[in-house]
Amino acid sequence: MKIRYFATLRNVTHKTEEDWAPREATVGDLLRDLVGRYGHEFERWVLENGKLRFAMVFVNGQDVREQQGLDTPLAPDDTVVFIPPMAGG
Amino acid sequence: MHGWIGHILRVNLTTEKVSREPLDPGLATDYIGARGLGTKVLFDEVDPKVDPLSPENKLIFAPGPFTGTYAPSGGRYDVVTKGALTGAIAAASSGGTWGPALKYAGYDMVILEGKAAHPVYLWIKDGTAELRDATHLWGKTVPDTTDAVRAETDEDAKVACIGPAGEHQVLFACIMNDMHRAAGRSGVGAVMGSKNLKAIAVVGRGTVTCADNDAFARVVMQVREKILGHPVGGTGLRLYGTDVLVNILNQIGGHPTKNFQDGYFATADKIGGESLSAKVLQRPKGCFACIISCGRVTKVSHTKYAGEGEGPEYETAWGFGSDCGVDDLDAVTKANYYCNEYGLDTITMGATVACAMELYGLGLITRKDTGGLALEFGNAEAMVEATRLTVQGEGFGQKLGLGSYRLAAAYGHPELSMTVKKQEMPAYDPRAIQGIGLNYATANCGAAHVRGYTISPEVLGVPTKVNKDTIEGKPELVITFQNLTAALDASGACLFTTFGIGADELAAMLSALTGVEYSTAEFLKCGDRIWNLERLFNLKAGLTAKDDSLPPRILKEPLKSGASKGRVSRFPEMLPTYYKLRGWDAAGVPTPAKLQALGLVAEPALSGSLT
Repeated sequence: MKIRYFATLRNVTHKTEEDWAPREATVGDLLRDLVGRYGHEFERWVLENGKLRFAMVFVNGQDVREQQGLDTPLAPDDTVVFIPPMAGG
Repeated sequence: MHGWIGHILRVNLTTEKVSREPLDPGLATDYIGARGLGTKVLFDEVDPKVDPLSPENKLIFAPGPFTGTYAPSGGRYDVVTKGALTGAIAAASSGGTWGPALKYAGYDMVILEGKAAHPVYLWIKDGTAELRDATHLWGKTVPDTTDAVRAETDEDAKVACIGPAGEHQVLFACIMNDMHRAAGRSGVGAVMGSKNLKAIAVVGRGTVTCADNDAFARVVMQVREKILGHPVGGTGLRLYGTDVLVNILNQIGGHPTKNFQDGYFATADKIGGESLSAKVLQRPKGCFACIISCGRVTKVSHTKYAGEGEGPEYETAWGFGSDCGVDDLDAVTKANYYCNEYGLDTITMGATVACAMELYGLGLITRKDTGGLALEFGNAEAMVEATRLTVQGEGFGQKLGLGSYRLAAAYGHPELSMTVKKQEMPAYDPRAIQGIGLNYATANCGAAHVRGYTISPEVLGVPTKVNKDTIEGKPELVITFQNLTAALDASGACLFTTFGIGADELAAMLSALTGVEYSTAEFLKCGDRIWNLERLFNLKAGLTAKDDSLPPRILKEPLKSGASKGRVSRFPEMLPTYYKLRGWDAAGVPTPAKLQALGLVAEPALSGSLT
């Protein structure tokens, strides 16, 4: 499973992308694992009180907010993209 | 008056008469300022059927009541006129420091009429104004003009000017201020050039008074906390600028690629905000009273595209980048510098090159036409050279200077121009984001994302997430955003404040500043009033419901790849509901009841169905 980071999350993880060991999991499982690895600086962009916060999370290009949120299931060949809240014009 | 200065400067360029007039407090209350007041004056004083490049058109520069105060990011002004590119009403917004300077010099608005017999510039200092010869400035770039005018007037003068593109009346020429800020769209620079007006230089030592300093200060502090407390306004835009949107829109498959042939560009990351920050960014920059600092001071070194300046913004990176199939950031940045130095709208420029590339790929434009330029998608060098030719009015650049609609029409394929009301669509694909398509089609100035930025809820989830692929509720959403934006534009505040605050806070700040009691509903009603007056101007100019449309590609050609593959815009299904909710008839004409509710005069000649 490929994990890709953009904007400030590249600064936090010091990566543009990485692999995640494929297993049965949800988006929430992935986030908890990443928070455990990258700590508060990562968590403040993505989770608040266990709920999805601020960051946009895409699984194969589909926004998880329009799917099952943190319960969105992940498959071994998925690509998950994290983009912190950004905007512009 | 508070917030407003209370005076208008009227300049007749034909007779060289300069006069100072009072600002009507009633009009100020109803239309607020900037885009709103400018629209009211244009509607009252200009026949909508005039040729935009004729002396009968008027050019109006107007800041808002927030402009020049310490309202967060309260530094904007608008240029209102009949657009040269579109033939519709135009209101191009800009930041920087020019707008506050005009208020400190003693004016809420400058109205320019007629046409000077030879090139001139307007010099305004502490209330007095004079026209000066600009023959020696004609032909100079924006930076050279700015430096020369300051040297002749005051080293602290703020200068708004056109470059050679405006002088040549290129239909999408813009007006630049503070060297790098643009009143960009719809060809307002061409109108300025048609009047032989090269620049307006302003300096003033006045102030903007406040009705209730304590209340204003309280609301301002609350607004600052909200904007800075939100990651977008507080961190994101300062770190990455608007160009950070490249990867976001690409992820959802809504990043228009190769003249909107698709919505996903595989190498987009090379021209996104992350790459910009790593490779060409010198430092962020903000406008007057700005607490967000989305501006980018940049420099390209060590390549054939070397240069420095400000930008590119998201739209610019997209237009010269993905829309042309180009992923060379240095090339994109150079094209951006050309446009800033010569005074051209980067959105229309990039999208016109993209359209030309598609026509070239179809064999309709040849190397003989282009003077040997291989105008292929992905050819960065050709993209930059095409831009250079256009800004300097050379060779094939003269045809590109017509904009994509007239270019494509000249080659027999107007449907390959991705425009609404002859203005190029910006960097969000309506097939991937339903609401923005409705906004593009109905915006009075032509396709414009900032008229009703539903990207906020539909993609970014600000203030809350709305499904981008459904159409239910979208007409109402678009109308709300359009009305709010019209009122915000009129106030002089920056659109980016709305990533942290909304109508409640804006109305409260405006009330405290001006002493005029604006409820949230009244503030939004001002926006609705402005929107409907713009609509009336367009209808009288000859635009009809047929002009509320999207290109055939967007309605009929599904996206080929990316996360939104297979989707088309469902705009036609939304338009009847949009008209109804607007209080318009089936032909898109505001009903007498609607106009009466807004305090506008009904136009009997416009009533009834139009074909």
